[in-house]
Amino acid sequence: MSVPIAPKHPDPIIRFSGVHKRFGPKIIYTGLDLDVYPGEVLTIIGGSGVGKSVMLKLLLGLIGIDSGSITAFGEEVTTMAPAQLTGLRKRIAMLFQGGALFDSMTVAQNIKYPMLEHGWGDVAARTTRVAEVLEMVGLPGVEHLYPAELSGGMRKRVGLARAIAVQPDVILYDEPTTGLDPINIRRINGLIRSLQARLGVTSIVVTHDMDSAFTVADRFAMVRDQRIGYTGSRTETERSEIPWVREFVVGGKGVLAD
Amino acid sequence: MSTQARAPSWHSWGIFTFFGHLGAMCILAWRSSIAMFRRPFEFSALVNQLDAVGIGSISVTVLTAVFVGMVMALQFSAALAGYGASLYTGSLVSEGLVRELGPVLTALLVGGRVASGMSAELGSMAVSEQIDAIRALGADPVKKLVVPRVLACLIAMPLLTLVADIVGCLGGQLVVMAEVGVTARFYWEQVIATVQIHDLFHGLGKSVFFGYFIAIIGCYKGMTTRGGTAGVGMATTVTVVWVSISILAADYLLTNLFLAL
Repeated sequence: MSVPIAPKHPDPIIRFSGVHKRFGPKIIYTGLDLDVYPGEVLTIIGGSGVGKSVMLKLLLGLIGIDSGSITAFGEEVTTMAPAQLTGLRKRIAMLFQGGALFDSMTVAQNIKYPMLEHGWGDVAARTTRVAEVLEMVGLPGVEHLYPAELSGGMRKRVGLARAIAVQPDVILYDEPTTGLDPINIRRINGLIRSLQARLGVTSIVVTHDMDSAFTVADRFAMVRDQRIGYTGSRTETERSEIPWVREFVVGGKGVLAD
Repeated sequence: MSTQARAPSWHSWGIFTFFGHLGAMCILAWRSSIAMFRRPFEFSALVNQLDAVGIGSISVTVLTAVFVGMVMALQFSAALAGYGASLYTGSLVSEGLVRELGPVLTALLVGGRVASGMSAELGSMAVSEQIDAIRALGADPVKKLVVPRVLACLIAMPLLTLVADIVGCLGGQLVVMAEVGVTARFYWEQVIATVQIHDLFHGLGKSVFFGYFIAIIGCYKGMTTRGGTAGVGMATTVTVVWVSISILAADYLLTNLFLAL
């Protein structure tokens, strides 16, 4: 199914076109196309191991593609020089699945890391920003703790605080709610929405959690047969009659009933 | 595309895998060499690594060297006694230690300890996506992680080898004095008369190369670790084997090279 152009967002800020990727014998994508529009929350769904997270890493230039093109803010990502990639990674931040905090650093040092790399603010501004982002993720006063002293959910929220520290334009979330308790799931969902509403941040959320997906998403994209097999708005997805979309959305009930 | 999936993968061909790893390690070595001279310099990371590699390895170095020196003295004094030449035991012990056993055994022991540690630490970082996170946050993992480790090994290995040379000779001295009955003064006069400055540089020169191999292999295996905690265990084991083999193979080549100089 081709990607519909949403009329309210004529110019995508991120575009995957004809992306092919394989890891050794394992083929991940054969001609993946996807547009992401400014200010939207796009949720990527699909079965386990279909390469949803790989898409986020390709976009950041963390891994290379075999052929095709990926553009972000009008520039080709796949041919960027290291200095350009650094600039790109200031504008596109990523929340990793387990938080990916640096074990040898405190929470404050972790959050200051991207600020130091990108030359963001002075010492006082950075310290204030650390407190500010920790407050946003609901973890004030944990600056001095090490990741080993935090629970899984807290690590994820510190990871999110680190991702939003340098005020990126786009945030990539890799399974942001997996393994969290309901209160933290609501908190993360609320944060994704409020970053969009308050700061106009564009979000790409890779998730298995359909409750969370329907809470945050403006639009859905589903990975199937090594490409984006379906895209549609929240309402379209809820009402979709395509069996394999329906199966995913209602947790298999629709197909089992058939 | 589906036909490509069924085609035999070159990954499964051992010889290609070997050269694949060798090539990737050369690329890592090259990238770390470039990153080494690019500002800002990571001084605090270097100090931490020097502490881990250098200070942390002193005890294992001293213990190894003292026993090796003692065993060599015991063997040589017995062997030389047959020719009535056991008075020259000190010469053989010191020459053997400084040129060969000091650098090689220090590299094997310290290499096993340090490279497996690097591989485990960086491997854990790789499987928990911390290395991806470094890049995603705008930094270069080669500069942040590999360069401090390479520099620490390049600095620490010759110093540890020097310690091993001295301690090994001291261990030899104890045995020679007890077995052969020479004085400490006689023993050390022999050592100083035998070991020339170029012998010392021969051994220390080799240790610099060994240090480089230890750091590059340890970092390479760590950064390319896949497959969760089991992968970390596997990477650590393979690292020790690779480091040991490369030290012994390089020792032969480097000894040839240094003898020709």
